[in-house]
Amino acid sequence: MSLAYLVKRLVYLLITALVVSIIVFGITQILPANAAQMLLGEFATPEALAAIEARLGLDQPAYRQYLDWIGGVLVGDFGTSLRTGLPVGPTVVDAMSRSLTLAGLSLLMVTIVAIPLGVLAAVYQGRKIDLGVSLTSYIGVSLPEFVLATLLLVWLTRPELGWFPASGYVPFADDPLKALWHLALPVLTLTIVLTAHVMRMVRSEMVDVLHSDYVRAADLRGLPRHSVLFRHALRNSLLPTITVLALDVGYLIGGIIVVEEIFAFPGVGRLLIVAVQQRDLPLIQAGALIMAMTYAFSNLLADFAYAYLDRRIQYD
Amino acid sequence: MKTKSLPLNRRLFLKTSAALPFLSASVGLSSSKAFAASKGGTLNVSVNRAPGKLNPFLHRLNSEYLLGELLYSGLTRLGQDMSPQPDLAESWTPSADLTEWTFTLRAGATFHNGKAVVAADAVASLNRVLDKATGSPGRRNLGPIESVSEGSDGTVVIKTSLPYGDLPVALAYSTAKIVPAEIASGDLAPLDQQAIGTGPFKLVSYEPDRLTVVEANPDYFIEGLPYLDKINLMVFPDATAEMAALIAGEVDLSLEVPPADFTRVGAATGVVGLRTPSGRFIDIVMANDKPPFNDLRVREALSLSLDRQAMIDLVAEGFGSPGNDTPINAAYRYYGDAPVKKRDIARAKQLLAEAGYPDGLKTTLVASVKPGYRKTLAVVVREMAKEAGFDIEVKTMAHSTYLDQVWKKGDFYVGFYNMQPTEDAVFKLLFTSDAAWNETRWNNGDFDQLVEKARTTVDIAERAKLYASAQEKMRADIPALVPVFFDLLAAHRDYVENYQLHPRGATFSLEKVSLGAGAPQRG
Amino acid sequence: MIEVLKRLLSHPQGAIGLGLGAILILAMAFGPLVAPYDPESFDYSARLVGPTANHWMGTDQFGRDILSRLLWGARSTVLLGFTATLIGTSLGAAVGILSGFLGGWIDDAIMRVVDATMAIPNLLFALLIVTVLGPSGLNAVIAIGIAFAPGMARIARSVTLATRNHDYVSAAVARGESAAYIMAREILPNMVAPVIVEGTIRVAFAIMLLATLSFLGLGAQPPAPEWGLMIAEARGFMFRNAWTIVWPGLAIATVAIAFNLLGDGLRDVLNPRTR
Repeated sequence: MSLAYLVKRLVYLLITALVVSIIVFGITQILPANAAQMLLGEFATPEALAAIEARLGLDQPAYRQYLDWIGGVLVGDFGTSLRTGLPVGPTVVDAMSRSLTLAGLSLLMVTIVAIPLGVLAAVYQGRKIDLGVSLTSYIGVSLPEFVLATLLLVWLTRPELGWFPASGYVPFADDPLKALWHLALPVLTLTIVLTAHVMRMVRSEMVDVLHSDYVRAADLRGLPRHSVLFRHALRNSLLPTITVLALDVGYLIGGIIVVEEIFAFPGVGRLLIVAVQQRDLPLIQAGALIMAMTYAFSNLLADFAYAYLDRRIQYD
Repeated sequence: MKTKSLPLNRRLFLKTSAALPFLSASVGLSSSKAFAASKGGTLNVSVNRAPGKLNPFLHRLNSEYLLGELLYSGLTRLGQDMSPQPDLAESWTPSADLTEWTFTLRAGATFHNGKAVVAADAVASLNRVLDKATGSPGRRNLGPIESVSEGSDGTVVIKTSLPYGDLPVALAYSTAKIVPAEIASGDLAPLDQQAIGTGPFKLVSYEPDRLTVVEANPDYFIEGLPYLDKINLMVFPDATAEMAALIAGEVDLSLEVPPADFTRVGAATGVVGLRTPSGRFIDIVMANDKPPFNDLRVREALSLSLDRQAMIDLVAEGFGSPGNDTPINAAYRYYGDAPVKKRDIARAKQLLAEAGYPDGLKTTLVASVKPGYRKTLAVVVREMAKEAGFDIEVKTMAHSTYLDQVWKKGDFYVGFYNMQPTEDAVFKLLFTSDAAWNETRWNNGDFDQLVEKARTTVDIAERAKLYASAQEKMRADIPALVPVFFDLLAAHRDYVENYQLHPRGATFSLEKVSLGAGAPQRG
Repeated sequence: MIEVLKRLLSHPQGAIGLGLGAILILAMAFGPLVAPYDPESFDYSARLVGPTANHWMGTDQFGRDILSRLLWGARSTVLLGFTATLIGTSLGAAVGILSGFLGGWIDDAIMRVVDATMAIPNLLFALLIVTVLGPSGLNAVIAIGIAFAPGMARIARSVTLATRNHDYVSAAVARGESAAYIMAREILPNMVAPVIVEGTIRVAFAIMLLATLSFLGLGAQPPAPEWGLMIAEARGFMFRNAWTIVWPGLAIATVAIAFNLLGDGLRDVLNPRTR
């Protein structure tokens, strides 16, 4: 991986950040809501509104507001919530840390479950296990998170079962076991949906590799089957899997928004929904920007990992 | 439907007796300290809307009112029977003409920072609430106040522009809280992040959308209160999740239970359901000054197309009572009884035709998504009115958009209001020409006069007659459709003691709540 | 066309997808005719009942027949999904072809913007757009269409780039044909296969996204029998009658599966390598 490639990708990330911030800012600019009105509620008088607008700089032209905002963001100041009057930064960071726990656990589960299943399906292509995996993955990719989450909620949280708490969140610092218990259903939902995606990709990559010339050659040379599978095939099919996992962070973010809403999990997804419902502009901006950048960043990491692992490819 | 033949007051009576278990407990409490409440413990309380603002002057949600009440005090507070009770003011006396009131402050009350409460604090706070620039939702709910000033020997003197007997009740309004004078007369920003009040609890942490923690104020001005050490105020935007947490015992007290869940939740082991009749209502607001609803025949046609008894089942799951297009029901003192309006599609059609819509009337009904009843009501009205020739399109929107674009401005939308302490309060809030939120623009001079006259009438029988005529006027003229009143529903674990459901829906008195045997130990 | 259908039928996923699709088309065409009840009429005496002889799938909180609502809702749910995909595809294809055809720094700039937009997850992007436009079924469709466009633009561009270097395009350029002619006559036809494959899978995704937006209160408005909205409205009652959630959930999943299968089938059938 050349330095030039690294620099180029970093520059792309910066461009992405710039464009995303402009889109997000633009969208909040044309939202049908008056920020000062939101801040003061429906009881505000014109004089009070004018005073607030001046204080928030809302009377400035849009580009000035954008520069002020982005300047603040660069030093970690995301502005003040219109609804609560509290600084947005710490609120979003707290929520983000909880969402990352949820996302991290889900990705871990997906990796543990999906890769072996995908490999199995590829190795036993056309057999029962392959059929089972394909069928499950079709169902998985076709069931929206909100349907799955709601059904899990109906079936698994009934008090007579008492298996899972319906919602809520317990910090790990308070009680690690309880924290995991509360995370179980959201993680389960996300895992099922994502596993379907990843499993499918791993299977198809693995099938390609298994049919590739050099695996056939290895077979012909009479190498033991497991050696062929694990030394040659798996390693090569894992490369694209990294990219798939990174791409699925996009799905994961969408899923997290829905899952957090349904299981009342206080993460950045729910924060964003609240912000959207309340037209809390600074919170929408911060939440959307952070989510988009998380996705962009995970793609960048995946590219680097890919480039590092796969030195056969030339990067310019 | 089964109860259709029962007269209204009897049905309400039945409901009240259904709520007796908690009523008797409350009687036990107020009569004496007959059974000793145990001190200490942590109570987990769940609310369905996040308390978005800490500043008590800007509160407008029930969860915020709760927070305000925990952390702050007013001059007066609302008793269970809607009468004014002492809070920071120990006593009050009006002038003979009811235009000047002197409030004597309680001795020994201190703010959470140790400073003693003086009249200047109360004067500065009330003036700040009344200041237009503050944008306080309670500004126009406090009565016709002309001035607030410091009297001799540390009293607070309030002058009203009219004789106003209900002032002590009006001052119990949830936003009329007392904060230190230096904050009240300066920059209010500190109120967003900290709470220096005089309430029974002190703020520990405030994370609006998740968890707010308060702890007992050892220097609270009522000896022996509060009982609890700590309260965790937990936010559940989703009712399903909230009820599950209550059933699982992670929440001890849910301040509101959706009607659809009440039976199921109340039957769960270790959970006690609470229910009280209330004047909380849902209404269809119509612009009385614009076509088509400026025509009484159209309003009446719509009113006649509703099956009110069925609506109680569909909108409130039976936990409510029918409305007669006035905001007053049996939960109020001066309720003027009348038979429930009956559905009459033929007459509705005829009226609509006479009004110039023989082929029906097409219109759009706006409903905010919070609380969910609004949407339900809109769908039900659409379906019921279809038969009479109304073609109503339902449009839902986020609550903030609704407040911004439709509320008080729209021509046809769903409103939802808490019970008010008095008839005067609700009429002056919504229906008189000078109402704070004159959303119907009904502007009926006769009605205004009746309300105005009742204000200054001391004789109870005479007052009842005036309010009965006012309600009669509304039933006939239908400025808004009030088809359903909601009972208030809450639930708690069986070890929670002394929680009383207040019919106003905005008063909670958690300082009197204690934990009995079987309560979980929480850190 | 017939050829493609034939090959689809001999392809396992394609055949199942085609079968499910046919059932869906029947439901869309004749659903409202065979629906036993009006999808909006109440039955106070039969609220939240499970499947019975009168109501095969049971009723919801207003006593509305769930089967009738599903049948009526099929039309709007699927048509809206198609429309969203169509908007996304045309928008994306236009941008992609233009970018690929023009090349140079313009191509670079457009692709950077497209990449950046793709960094915003679809649901988040659609959520933001619909917040601006206001909640309604149509606005949700537009939002999803816009959110889909960048992905489609990438595909369209790569096809354009691949085609551009072909001899017949070079020949057309040499002939002095106009840019518009080349785009319309030489590049577009090559785009049909990959776009149809991608589009079919996207329809499944659009239907799911649309249902999700309705579920969040940002899509179709009550009392529309939109499937996602049906689930959202029934959530408060799910412990009393879980069928109110199960049936529409099943309907969404089945339709999405149908389009996913069909998409995979088409990919294999239309892919020149596997021909």
